[in-house]
Amino acid sequence: MRLEARQISVRFGALAALASVSLDVQSGERRALIGPNGAGKTTLFNVIAGELRPASGSVLLDGRDVTSLPTWRRARMSVGRTFQRSALFPRLSVSENLELAVRRGALGGRRRAVPDRLAAAGLSAVAERPAVSLGHGEQRALEIELALACEPRLLLLDEPMAGLSGAERQAALARLRNLPRSVTLVIVEHDIDAVFAIAERITVLDHGVRIADGTPAEVRADPRVQEVYLGRS
Amino acid sequence: MNGLVFAGLVFLLAAGLSVIFGVMDVLNLAHGSFYMLGAYAAFAVVSRTGSFWLALLLGPLTVGLIGAVMELVLFRRLYQRGHLAQVLLSFGFTLVFVDLVRSWFGPRTYGIAPPPGLGGAFHVAGANFTKYDVFILGVSLLVGAALLVGWRLLKVGAVLRAGVSDKEMVGLLGIDLGLVFTLTFAFGAALAGLGGVVAAPFVAIHPAMDDNVLILALVVVVLGGLGSIEGALAGSLLIGLAYSFGTFYLQEFSIAIVFALMAAVLVLRPRGLFGIRT
Amino acid sequence: MPAVLLAVLVSLPFWTPSRYWVSVAIQALILAVFAMSLDLLLGFGGMPSFGHAAFYGMGAYACGKLFPQLTGGGLLAFLAAGMAAGVIAALPIGALAVRARGIYFLMLTLAFAQMVWGLAFQWTSFTGGTEGMSGIPQAVPDWLQEQGQNVWPALRTAGPFYVVALTVAVLAFAGLTAITRSPFGRALEGIRENEGRMRALGYPTYRYRLAAFVIAAAFAGLAGATTALYNGYANPSQLYWHTSGLVLIAVIVGGTRSLLGAVLGAFFVTIVQLVISSYTEHWQLLLGAVFIAVVLFLPGGLISLGRLGWLRR
Repeated sequence: MRLEARQISVRFGALAALASVSLDVQSGERRALIGPNGAGKTTLFNVIAGELRPASGSVLLDGRDVTSLPTWRRARMSVGRTFQRSALFPRLSVSENLELAVRRGALGGRRRAVPDRLAAAGLSAVAERPAVSLGHGEQRALEIELALACEPRLLLLDEPMAGLSGAERQAALARLRNLPRSVTLVIVEHDIDAVFAIAERITVLDHGVRIADGTPAEVRADPRVQEVYLGRS
Repeated sequence: MNGLVFAGLVFLLAAGLSVIFGVMDVLNLAHGSFYMLGAYAAFAVVSRTGSFWLALLLGPLTVGLIGAVMELVLFRRLYQRGHLAQVLLSFGFTLVFVDLVRSWFGPRTYGIAPPPGLGGAFHVAGANFTKYDVFILGVSLLVGAALLVGWRLLKVGAVLRAGVSDKEMVGLLGIDLGLVFTLTFAFGAALAGLGGVVAAPFVAIHPAMDDNVLILALVVVVLGGLGSIEGALAGSLLIGLAYSFGTFYLQEFSIAIVFALMAAVLVLRPRGLFGIRT
Repeated sequence: MPAVLLAVLVSLPFWTPSRYWVSVAIQALILAVFAMSLDLLLGFGGMPSFGHAAFYGMGAYACGKLFPQLTGGGLLAFLAAGMAAGVIAALPIGALAVRARGIYFLMLTLAFAQMVWGLAFQWTSFTGGTEGMSGIPQAVPDWLQEQGQNVWPALRTAGPFYVVALTVAVLAFAGLTAITRSPFGRALEGIRENEGRMRALGYPTYRYRLAAFVIAAAFAGLAGATTALYNGYANPSQLYWHTSGLVLIAVIVGGTRSLLGAVLGAFFVTIVQLVISSYTEHWQLLLGAVFIAVVLFLPGGLISLGRLGWLRR
């Protein structure tokens, strides 16, 4: 799925969270969205997913303008996302969590897909436990699996590596790299190694403005990026 | 009693309810009970000592103390569980207080006389005022002014307006949020208690008196804006006006219209006329 | 557990000492239907309504307003009218209220319910004002009436109506159980647990919440109709926020997220209100204290005690 965000502007009161930000992601591309905290990355995700209406600008999926469509309709169009803080169904079991996801917003069958999903996420052993009782790594695995269970063509991942241990990180990275080309990936991440391992192109935001957009090499060499972001570490 | 005086009394109740919601995000359904406790406290003090002025002092203090204990011992346990649990808790207390009051004072209806010096009436601009009416207005205006000034001036007010939504931030600033909540709840309760004491000389004191008052205060606070003192003032004036006219016109639908208005505000402009939160 | 309870209830008219207990049971069963309907909304949907009495009362008033026309249709016509009244009132109210969450939803439902109450209270020409509407027949089918009086002559009309109340309660329990276990019920729970995630998964959450609101109102209307038939009247107090509060207490004390819990809560509240009140005047204190204790220390309600016991085996 091709994603175009054209000149997105979002204001929270007097604060310009996003100022005329544009993003063009080709179908099947692996794109990383990076920037310091508060740069507007999650806000941009919220606009793309439909949770937030921009003050101006438009969002197009496969050429179709979806700016006025609510979140659930875009999800039905195969947009999947994960959240910075795991958005699970805490008191429901892991199976029940996935059950809700595989139904893809409808009430029909498909429950048979759940065991496969459990296996893919490595959660078969904890299937009947409430989601809130899972360890952080397991919760993040479930978080990603919920998004994948809908078979998305555009996947928005908000800091998928956050808080993962070394082994969990490797597993998550492998999972993402093995995703088919039918899925367009946009990842917000602070983990720079992961970013350079996966991304084909990188977009950099700072204080709501896009300051760079290009291949990893181009971005690494860009002096503005070095000054604002990479230079700080 | 005319609409303006009614508005003054309602303001005392609405202000406390609004402050509690504004600071704690809790809708205190026991607010009517605090009003009732204030009225009964006035009755108790006056029947024992004959001094209304003493009641004016002790009533709000007692009710405030009860509020403080409630918050400290019980509400505090529910911070983690969210605001709804606290709202439910306050509702449970309405039952408890009604029962306690009835067993302590009996089911009879009581009344107390206005204090000497405040009896008597006079005319102003074609409306009837009693000296006691003026007293009520005076108290309400005093409280209103003090609240407006205090809210703006105190640094605490500003921090609270901005920071209660981010509890970690406020904690970092060195403010004990728990203490703030206890004091706020106690203060709101005391205001309601004051309303009860002030109302005691012309209202029937009985165990079901908390009911209408709570709903009225709620309507006012929603209309004016939850968490806003100006809103409580504006809402009270509106209700006072409605009270003056409503008893004459549209008798079949006056109650329904008031609540339809409340619903309309909640749907269209949840923050009310003056409120800041959504 | 449910089987035991059902057995006790079904056999009640046979071993009960007097009409009084049957009457208590009838009122408990009616409150149970009302409580289960609120449980769907609050426990499963996470929507704290403080105005559910509006639909309960509408069900009663529908019977009161229409009984000349409904009498021909018998019992089923009255019950259907009650459910229809709930649905018709819930559609516009729900459409507006369901957009809100948490405390705002609570206040909005309270406002709408008080508005309906205000109409019932003041619009005397249409609703009978403070007096309400009376003269509603019990509408027990003749064959049941005769059988009942043959089997339990000492219970007179209480016996046959008990069968009605029990049947309504059992059917409501079965219906609501089916709903909560269906994919719709699961989705509703998902919305309660994390609405944002449900939207991201493609669920039109507003529609689900509205549907739950309307279904809950239908069953509340059913309870209201049943109470109108039993008591023979409809009056404004059935719409007042105290009634909303009482059913809320029943659901929370019994246990949210469990229809059986709602039933237990309803029985608890009814027994305290009707039975214990004749022994002590402190029944409100008891109710309030238990409610406060449950809110503070037993958020799962009384039914969660049963679950713990089961686990320890």
